[in-house]
Amino acid sequence: MTMVPGNWYAVAAEHDVPAGHIYRTALGGNDQAIRELAIWRASDGAVQVWEDRCPHRGVRFSLGEVVGDELRCQYHAWRFAKGGACTFIPAQPDMKVPGSIHAKAWPVAVSAGLIWTGVDPVGEPPVLGEGAAIRAVPVARPLAEVETALAQADLPGLALTLQPLGDTETIVRGLVANGDCAAADRALAALRRQLECVA
Amino acid sequence: MSTIDPILWNDWHPVAETCTLLSGPPVETVLLGVPLVIAADADGAFHARRTDDVPLHQDERYGLVWVCLGTPERPVLAIPEADEPDRPAVTVGSIRVQTAGPRVIENFLDLGHLGYVHARYLGDDPHTQVLPYKVDALPEGGIIATGCKMFQPQASPAATEGFMVDYVYKVERPLATCLYKANPVHRDRFDVIFLFAQPVSEEESIAHPLLLCLPDGTTAADLRTFQQLIFMQDKPILENQVPKRLPLADGAELPIAADKSSVAYRRWLSKIGMTYGVIPAQARAA
Repeated sequence: MTMVPGNWYAVAAEHDVPAGHIYRTALGGNDQAIRELAIWRASDGAVQVWEDRCPHRGVRFSLGEVVGDELRCQYHAWRFAKGGACTFIPAQPDMKVPGSIHAKAWPVAVSAGLIWTGVDPVGEPPVLGEGAAIRAVPVARPLAEVETALAQADLPGLALTLQPLGDTETIVRGLVANGDCAAADRALAALRRQLECVA
Repeated sequence: MSTIDPILWNDWHPVAETCTLLSGPPVETVLLGVPLVIAADADGAFHARRTDDVPLHQDERYGLVWVCLGTPERPVLAIPEADEPDRPAVTVGSIRVQTAGPRVIENFLDLGHLGYVHARYLGDDPHTQVLPYKVDALPEGGIIATGCKMFQPQASPAATEGFMVDYVYKVERPLATCLYKANPVHRDRFDVIFLFAQPVSEEESIAHPLLLCLPDGTTAADLRTFQQLIFMQDKPILENQVPKRLPLADGAELPIAADKSSVAYRRWLSKIGMTYGVIPAQARAA
């Protein structure tokens, strides 16, 4: 199983992305290219999920800088507004920037302390309930295996969701109902050890 | 017969600095996927060999050892300025970069990044406008960009004030480029800076900058240090370009008028049929 078009995937916790910060992650799967993502928050609080690549010369946006409500690429300081439109090119400051110059912005939803995206996601992200967002736990196993293990594990009070990262890499994200993030972290770390030790 | 791009297989590439070989152990390196060892003998002569002992061609120029793995179709790139007696050739070190050689060369030609990646040295905000310049084909192949101008706060170690610097850029071989820029002391003569990208693999290179600067009171060590600083500012950018191979199709990336030399470089590589370290135009959909 891999990233499915139409599905929503949690790719960050809200607390991973304070205002002005760029968070780097990826979404991929067994038979698809890994899509690198740059997740950033404008000064007005809005969260953006973009392909981590400036359309000009391919430099990762995650190397760049949030300036107010815009993201500035580190290479040539081109500025991009929320939604992805390029607004300013310092090498040609008097030029009206053509509409074709555009960062690739992914759909984004913020719900229950998590940031969600996907390829043409349908409807709303899954409802995980109430609680505190746990620390993300990367597991070096394919998504299907992690999913099976989680279904069999006894993890009370945890509502979990999976982010496929590559062929063999999955990130566990979710909420803990009683807010005890440290206990959730210990339980998931134990599960990770168990999964990764099975060769 | 190698299946590697004959354009690079039959050309010369720098693989080691002679000063490093004279003062240290043999250099192990890789060229086009082929492991090499380069050593100096007791008489100060240099010997490059493949670790599988298949013969290769070797030369020594400008403080660098050069190797051709295939059949050389021409000599090592001629640099007339290297014969001017007041220009010592100063190599700057061999700097590994996790990206394709053509990305390294294209970045060297780029004017728009100077005010940001090299802020307070080779440019500065708000003097970041790239004024129109001219790009032409060179008669022997390659491209030349003339009439380039950039305001530079610290154009070189000897510069004591910012000034508008005139540049000429050339690409004479796919992985060899140079620039001519006004010397801060002799403003009517040009310093010459070369950059060679040794293709280690399709997505890794080793940059060999070479300085042919006029005497202006700067020591070779200071020239080296300055150029290494500049290159270290470029390195994180180069290693974060996705994809690592240079895409050659028009529209694969989005150039503007200021990127004229980049467009010309990509089109020239397409025209000569370069395949190594690039994404050829026709393969774009793959």
